Amino acid sequence: MKMNKLGIRLGAIVFAAAMVFTLNGQAPVQGSAPQGPVTFDRLLKASAEPGNWLMYSNSYNSWRYSGLNQINPQTVKDLHVKWIFQGRHVEKFETTPLVVNGIMYLTRPENAIYALDAATGRQLWSYEYRNPTRTYNCCGKVNRGLAMLGNTLFMNTLDMHVVAVDARSGHELWKTEMGDYTAAGGYAAPGAPLIVKDKLIVGMAGGEHGVNGFLDAYDTKTGARLWRFNTIPQPGEANFGTWAGDSWKTGGVTTWNNGSYDPETNTLFWGTSNPWPDYNDDTRLGDNLYACSVLALDPDTGKLKWFFQFTPHDLHDWDSTQIPILLDTEFQGQMRKTLAWANRNGFYYLLDRTNGKFLTAKAFVKQTWAKGFDDNGRPELIPGNEPTPEGNDHTWPGVDGGANWMSHSYSPLTKWLYVFAREEHRVFSKNAVPHPTTDEPDRPLAPGALPNAGAYDPALGGAKTAQVGAPEESWGKVIAIDPATGNLKWEHRVLTPPWGGVMATGGNLVFGGTLEGMIFALNATTGDRLWTFSANGPVFASPISYLANGKQMVSIPAGDLIVTFGLD
Amino acid sequence: MWLRISLGILIPAAFLCAQGVQNPALTGEAVRGKVVAETNPFNTEADLQQGSALFQLHCSYCHGSHGEGGRGADLTAGVYNQGGKDPDLFKTIRTGIPGTEMPAVRVSDDEVWKLVGWVKKLGSAGLSEKAPGNAAAGQAIYAKNGCAGCHRIGTDGSDLGPDLTDIGRRRGLAFLTESIVKPDAFVPNRFRALQLEMKSGPNVSGIRLNEDDLSVQVRDVAGNPRSYLKENIKEIHREKPSLMPSYETRLSKTELGDLVAYLNSLKGAQ
Repeated sequence: MKMNKLGIRLGAIVFAAAMVFTLNGQAPVQGSAPQGPVTFDRLLKASAEPGNWLMYSNSYNSWRYSGLNQINPQTVKDLHVKWIFQGRHVEKFETTPLVVNGIMYLTRPENAIYALDAATGRQLWSYEYRNPTRTYNCCGKVNRGLAMLGNTLFMNTLDMHVVAVDARSGHELWKTEMGDYTAAGGYAAPGAPLIVKDKLIVGMAGGEHGVNGFLDAYDTKTGARLWRFNTIPQPGEANFGTWAGDSWKTGGVTTWNNGSYDPETNTLFWGTSNPWPDYNDDTRLGDNLYACSVLALDPDTGKLKWFFQFTPHDLHDWDSTQIPILLDTEFQGQMRKTLAWANRNGFYYLLDRTNGKFLTAKAFVKQTWAKGFDDNGRPELIPGNEPTPEGNDHTWPGVDGGANWMSHSYSPLTKWLYVFAREEHRVFSKNAVPHPTTDEPDRPLAPGALPNAGAYDPALGGAKTAQVGAPEESWGKVIAIDPATGNLKWEHRVLTPPWGGVMATGGNLVFGGTLEGMIFALNATTGDRLWTFSANGPVFASPISYLANGKQMVSIPAGDLIVTFGLD
Repeated sequence: MWLRISLGILIPAAFLCAQGVQNPALTGEAVRGKVVAETNPFNTEADLQQGSALFQLHCSYCHGSHGEGGRGADLTAGVYNQGGKDPDLFKTIRTGIPGTEMPAVRVSDDEVWKLVGWVKKLGSAGLSEKAPGNAAAGQAIYAKNGCAGCHRIGTDGSDLGPDLTDIGRRRGLAFLTESIVKPDAFVPNRFRALQLEMKSGPNVSGIRLNEDDLSVQVRDVAGNPRSYLKENIKEIHREKPSLMPSYETRLSKTELGDLVAYLNSLKGAQ
């Protein structure tokens, strides 16, 4: 219907007799005036808008760095809670909120979206996508966040849909099915999507369920799928044949976290998960491409430019779904365009991001499985680290790795990479594995698991990974890494291996939170702890920072709360 | 076009004639140890009216006096997450929904059935009615008067007023008519109009999204969600509950009938 909507709205409003109210574009209280829709150009220059948080990692290089500096080593002692958002859900938050023009957009489990006044936390609207009763998420009915382009928000769902929602009203604009979420052992999509140009890049999960992985691109206007990259080469595709027999058909290799984009080379970088079965390789001999790899793709076509496999023929569920960090650094006397990666297998890697060439690797946690690397970055294995029927309890790192999905951060001030690392070892067991599509069609859950809990199902993964050891045998640590060498600059130890990420700031601080709910700020140069708040809810997410009313705020989920801090 | 939600629903004769089964078949499923009938055995007009009264007593606090939702689900949508068949609704009301705020309703089984009847009526008020006007002409009137400036049908329109995509299923003819000519008669909480008289700068009109002691959140007339600290507001005016003007004198009787016919034709996804 063609009409002047604004004029009609005005005409439709009845005012009190003696009172005249005017249509206006008054800014919200938080003081950040509307700056219009989120264009791709704004996303490219996201670091120039430190008052906003426009994408999952804040910028396409995935530094998760906030340029704001009001909160710094001198002022951080005055940091206090400004507001709390209560999720009121049995599941914990794993989301990274977006903040755009004074409004915070966040996902709440399972697949709800909330729009809040970023200054007060007061709700503006909500949207709830209803999943089927049973979904096939491995590790909780969680969601990790949104992407935004124009005035549209995008969210992945546990039943393998992508939804587009009007950011002004919460009205659903379109919904697209990525695939059958019940196929094989079950698919899910808990990660945050990523905008590249006019495309929405979407990953998926199910690496413990014998799925066949992919990475998709969708039209942000219509939801039509534009390309799909198969993370396991199919017959006729390049690099097919690195899986024994038919094991490629159920090999997993999912894409369940977020990626990065290099506009200079027009390259999309995305990490892949473990091969399946996780710990029993009897049927999947070979390198199992492209499992445990980083993919460099043309975002326009989905064509592979290059790949690098961190852990060929993985036996320990060491996904390479960490978020690629793009930085330029001097390496052996030359400036290089690099990709820095603290991997779940316990090694920090530096790659040339223009071609995938291996530059260096160094362990950042205790590791027992590799004695070194050849010139191409292929690890030289130490025998005896394989899962066994009896249970192998002497391999470091454990199944959850030295790093996992939680965000790392890079500070252009210190030029160091910050990683909240995990030090632990676990039991790696090699069990018989039921086939996801033929052996157990009803896919029974593990004993004791609730039917609708989306419980991790070790029977499908084929291993028992019970944690061993006293607390002193496993711990967490925030570390600062020199990206050119992998050398550790400092280490800040915490009680428990973490599930939260970190954020460096222009105030020369590093924020994060522990499994016990201790939210902290460290001096980015020394690692000294300068401030702590006891949220007393496990932190399973990474912090963000933004401006409200011109004041710097820091938000981080803890348990089913979003806690936001400010100075005054 | 602004439609209010009210109780002014005509119960069509055809619906009243659809009397229930005196000895209903049984589903075999037990709720609290009793087998639940497959169809509602309490479906007379008197039962329906008793159901309406019970609804006001036990349900309206969360679901709204007209089923429009609030703390609880919008029951005019005719979408029931726990199932929409009579035994499903009986079970939901009888036992509540575990893990949610929906409690078991503490009434007799007979009264639960009467509530089932009223809840189903709330979700299908317009299905049994056929408007006499010209729906095509009404669509043109809808466009000419700029109703899409505030209302949404499918993907077209705005969100200042209720979504009309399936309003012809949710609401009866009397309700639709009254909503157009007397829009202030009933306004759901989520569409209540506010005018913010600011201490400085331009004033603001919109609908109330949220509010606390210190701040108020509105969707302004341009459709943007906004938040304001009350310390910056001189006065909040709530005298006019709806942003929508009355069309009583703006439309002829024929135009009103045609517009109602168009709205009645909007049944949403089938």
